[in-house]
Amino acid sequence: MGLLSIIRKIKKKEKEMRILMVGLDNSGKTTIVLKINGEDTSVISPTLGFNIKTITYQKYTLNIWDVGGQKTIRSYWRNYFEQTDGLVWVVDSSDLRRLDDCRMELDNLLKEERLSGASLLILANKQDIKGALTPGEIAKVLNLEAMDKTRHWEIVGCSAYTGEGLLEGFDWLVQDIASRIYVLD
Amino acid sequence: MEDEEESLSTSNPNQPNSDSDSETLDPALQKKHASMLERLANRHQTRLDSSLTRRSAESDSSSSPSFESTSSFLSHFADSKSSIEAQLAQCRLTPTSESAELKTRLDGISSSISDLEKFVAEKSYFLPSYEVRSSLKVISDLKQSLDSLSSELIPKKKFSFKNKAVKKNPVIDSKKEEEKEKAVEKIGKPEKIGFAIRESPGFRNKTGEVLVSQIKGSEVGEFTISDLDSCEVRLLGCIRVLFIHRLRNCKVYVGPVMGSILIEEVEGSVFVMASHQIRIHNAKASDFYLRVRSRPIIEDSSSVRFAPYCLSYEGIDGDLKEASLIEETGNWANVDDFRWLRAVQSPNWSILPENDRVGTVEITNSDS
Repeated sequence: MGLLSIIRKIKKKEKEMRILMVGLDNSGKTTIVLKINGEDTSVISPTLGFNIKTITYQKYTLNIWDVGGQKTIRSYWRNYFEQTDGLVWVVDSSDLRRLDDCRMELDNLLKEERLSGASLLILANKQDIKGALTPGEIAKVLNLEAMDKTRHWEIVGCSAYTGEGLLEGFDWLVQDIASRIYVLD
Repeated sequence: MEDEEESLSTSNPNQPNSDSDSETLDPALQKKHASMLERLANRHQTRLDSSLTRRSAESDSSSSPSFESTSSFLSHFADSKSSIEAQLAQCRLTPTSESAELKTRLDGISSSISDLEKFVAEKSYFLPSYEVRSSLKVISDLKQSLDSLSSELIPKKKFSFKNKAVKKNPVIDSKKEEEKEKAVEKIGKPEKIGFAIRESPGFRNKTGEVLVSQIKGSEVGEFTISDLDSCEVRLLGCIRVLFIHRLRNCKVYVGPVMGSILIEEVEGSVFVMASHQIRIHNAKASDFYLRVRSRPIIEDSSSVRFAPYCLSYEGIDGDLKEASLIEETGNWANVDDFRWLRAVQSPNWSILPENDRVGTVEITNSDS
């Protein structure tokens, strides 16, 4: 207990947050991370493995783990669950055909005990594309209202292409995590 | 008074005066870190010592201060627990028909459970581990009974989410399960219908046809090509996103795609396409003539071959420029196979030999 409480307090001091980005392939996870960090998003290959980005956001340091979403590597997601403060689930709002897959994968993820305390941000990405579902429709398809009542969650429409909505989503996530972990500040 | 303070703080500017201001200085930060570690360790030691003495004091006289004592924790915990249990029982005994009121009551219980959880977490540093464990057990029991209560009282909403977990659990009686299945169907069906109405532009369910679409400007976002057999597809102009699903023996010629292309379940087909990102899943015996800004990927595919883009139609250069795809990057040959994570060449794909390639493909928007 002694060491753990010391580590906890150091973490508090540095105001670090660990954020896990997951979602089906082609949903735009890597593009979102790069866009938020102000990097070039014109050449991005599908993620083979994972990327880590450390971003200073407001007064916090975010460690963002962007994990590839191809079917073959989804089973490795669980290796990244430990100590996750915030979970970002990215949805391709224009991919109507795979919304069922999307819901199933999210359901499986939320059963995971190690993620039970994490705040959940759902980004309904690709809102700039004509024909994309609205965040409200995505919420209905994913049946978000039926989620466990203790879970803190929010759905935000965004476009990694234009950058719209990204800051709004991350603002919510960071505030929510901060109010849980750093209540004493 | 204020002046005095100000002069004080300016008199020695090098000294970090508050917590947050000094974080920009690296060496200072490190120094602070070390000193904080020391302080924390010291504090932990004194706390341990004092709690030891307190515990021994507790054993002979039960008049220890309420702060940080196990017995006061236990009594507070028991109080909260019985109050939550009372609320749960009340909810069960006096069911209201108004779902809104019920929901606020259940939410109230849920939040008092999480308050209790927080209380345990706060006090866990001085509690014996047995007490922590047993308190957490009580909390999880409370959560469970709240869950079962809310699924009893507001059935529909809970079901479709819990469906899978319930199926795996053989203890649940079959009658309940049947009800749940029905509820799932009820929820599931209207959704599907709702989205079938809103189909994106595309070509679907055709056999042996030539399908041509001339796309102007940015009118089209996503485009879907699915369930085709022995068709030829020509898309002239820029689109944002392309979805391709279930094609057999088809030829697909498309102009630049500004976003990504997602291909699933294709067989015996030829694709000529340019895009920023291309993902190919479950493809068999197909040829891909690509121009890609990033590395194309394949997954669960076999006997797929790759060659450079070779499409031409009137005005294609302008479209390629607009989509930033005018440059040949050579990435058509840099294929990542997600089923073959080794350094040696994947057996699932190969480069199409030059004399097996088709020449430049000219397309027009007439059906010839």
